[in-house]
Amino acid sequence: MTGDLLTASGIEAGYGKVQVLWGAGVAVNERESVVLLGPNGAGKTTFLKVLLGLMPAWRGAVRFAGDDITRMRTDHRVRRGLAYMSEIGVFTGLSIEENLRIGGQFVERATLRARTEELYGIFPALAERKSALAGALSGGQRKMLGIAKALAAGPRLLVMDEPSAGLSPLFVSQVIEVLGRFRESGLALLIAEQNVAFLDLADRVFTLEAGRVGFEGTVEALHADDALHRAYFGLEGS
Amino acid sequence: MLTHALFGGLLFGLYFTLVGLGLNLIFGVMRIVNLAHGDFLMLGAFAAYWLFTLFGLHPLVAAVAVLVVFVLVGLPIYYLIVPRLLVSRDSEMLSIILFFGLSQIIEALASIFFGTTERSIPGRVLGTGPVRILGQSVPSAWAFGAAVSAVAVILVYLYLYRTRLGTLTRAVMVSRDEALATGIDVHRVSAIAFGIGIALAGIAGVFEPFMLGSVTPAIGGDITIAAFAVIVVGTLGNPLGTVLGGIVYGVSLLLMQTYLSSWANLLPNLLLIGVLLIRPEGLLGRQVRRA
Repeated sequence: MTGDLLTASGIEAGYGKVQVLWGAGVAVNERESVVLLGPNGAGKTTFLKVLLGLMPAWRGAVRFAGDDITRMRTDHRVRRGLAYMSEIGVFTGLSIEENLRIGGQFVERATLRARTEELYGIFPALAERKSALAGALSGGQRKMLGIAKALAAGPRLLVMDEPSAGLSPLFVSQVIEVLGRFRESGLALLIAEQNVAFLDLADRVFTLEAGRVGFEGTVEALHADDALHRAYFGLEGS
Repeated sequence: MLTHALFGGLLFGLYFTLVGLGLNLIFGVMRIVNLAHGDFLMLGAFAAYWLFTLFGLHPLVAAVAVLVVFVLVGLPIYYLIVPRLLVSRDSEMLSIILFFGLSQIIEALASIFFGTTERSIPGRVLGTGPVRILGQSVPSAWAFGAAVSAVAVILVYLYLYRTRLGTLTRAVMVSRDEALATGIDVHRVSAIAFGIGIALAGIAGVFEPFMLGSVTPAIGGDITIAAFAVIVVGTLGNPLGTVLGGIVYGVSLLLMQTYLSSWANLLPNLLLIGVLLIRPEGLLGRQVRRA
């Protein structure tokens, strides 16, 4: 299991003495969109935190763009092009403009200005309220801001933790549509989700159950596996 | 007499804003309670005293020297103490115990090196005689202390809202976890905020002998309580709310000293109890507790 952009293998990690991940791994190639599917409590957030260096890996290795980044600080990973959008995703007490500036903190000023204008073009609702506090936005707008903030860094890979969390189905489809546009433009995505609607974006799928990767393959292969199909799609289509 | 008390209270309020500002900045960024805050202020006061006594340095020059030295001292103290605190389960509570210990050490060392005698700097250093502002006659030292405090508050505002590092500082204040996830070097930002917080205490200390009369190694505890009252009134974790807290404190203090002078020393405790009972989130409340 290797990807030319990101490879995590044999990851073991946890909180205190409680082990959450048991040899989990994932691989993402350039311009590829990967969905990490799993129920609540499967260890998705913990896994993403290890990828970003927000939690130490007890065992295993993380490689990004050919380099071993297992012990690297988060800010250094972000500088290398690994961006993370957490479930919250924004600084609620700061304005939209400030959120974007922080997202692009490592980018040269002129480049950031151009990129911010580009992002405002993609998210016109944000452009209309640049000085509004992120905390004053609706759930859907916050999610858009979270995406824009992460993209302000100009990442090679955007890692997202449950972008559907707290959103109505209408907003979920808007988020998927926006992410689809970035995927088309060549941005690599790694999306941890339990909402199967995000499989529309996936080139490949990994399933995470109780801290272990259970399945790795295409969406079609996931559908073809009766047990997995039932587990994630219920009786629909069976 | 009432107008004079209110006006004097306003000047004292600006000074007490400076007294509380550093404590609130540190709490806002790190969510730790620096119980040694008053002792850093005391060290600033002794620095001003010795710089004036030995070299005849004007307090403004002493304030600049204290700013530089205290920021430089604050950085290693941060890296020595705070990162370990922040990974503990209850960093707020542990910080109270740890900084209480640091406060005791600073006070003991100051007593050994400076003695326990009250020290003061002549008020004439900051101008002779009273000055008239808006028809009110006030000691020039009060006006000077208030003016320096106002400048310090404006500089802190500009730092927080007009600089890149200030924006990152407010981001850490909003959410440390999100700041880490966004790649902010949280320890660097926090260490600088810690240094600035300590330096603000030191600068307040430079003017302490003029505003409160004299300095001894024992003043730290009372100053910390007063600073705590100021920031609780003005909203914990909101540095600019400290301005409101400082003014409420200063005006209340002067009113108490004018009409109920024997009760004035109780003021910090009364304000703390009153605010915690009636409006525990502080006067500005949650709506502005957002960095």
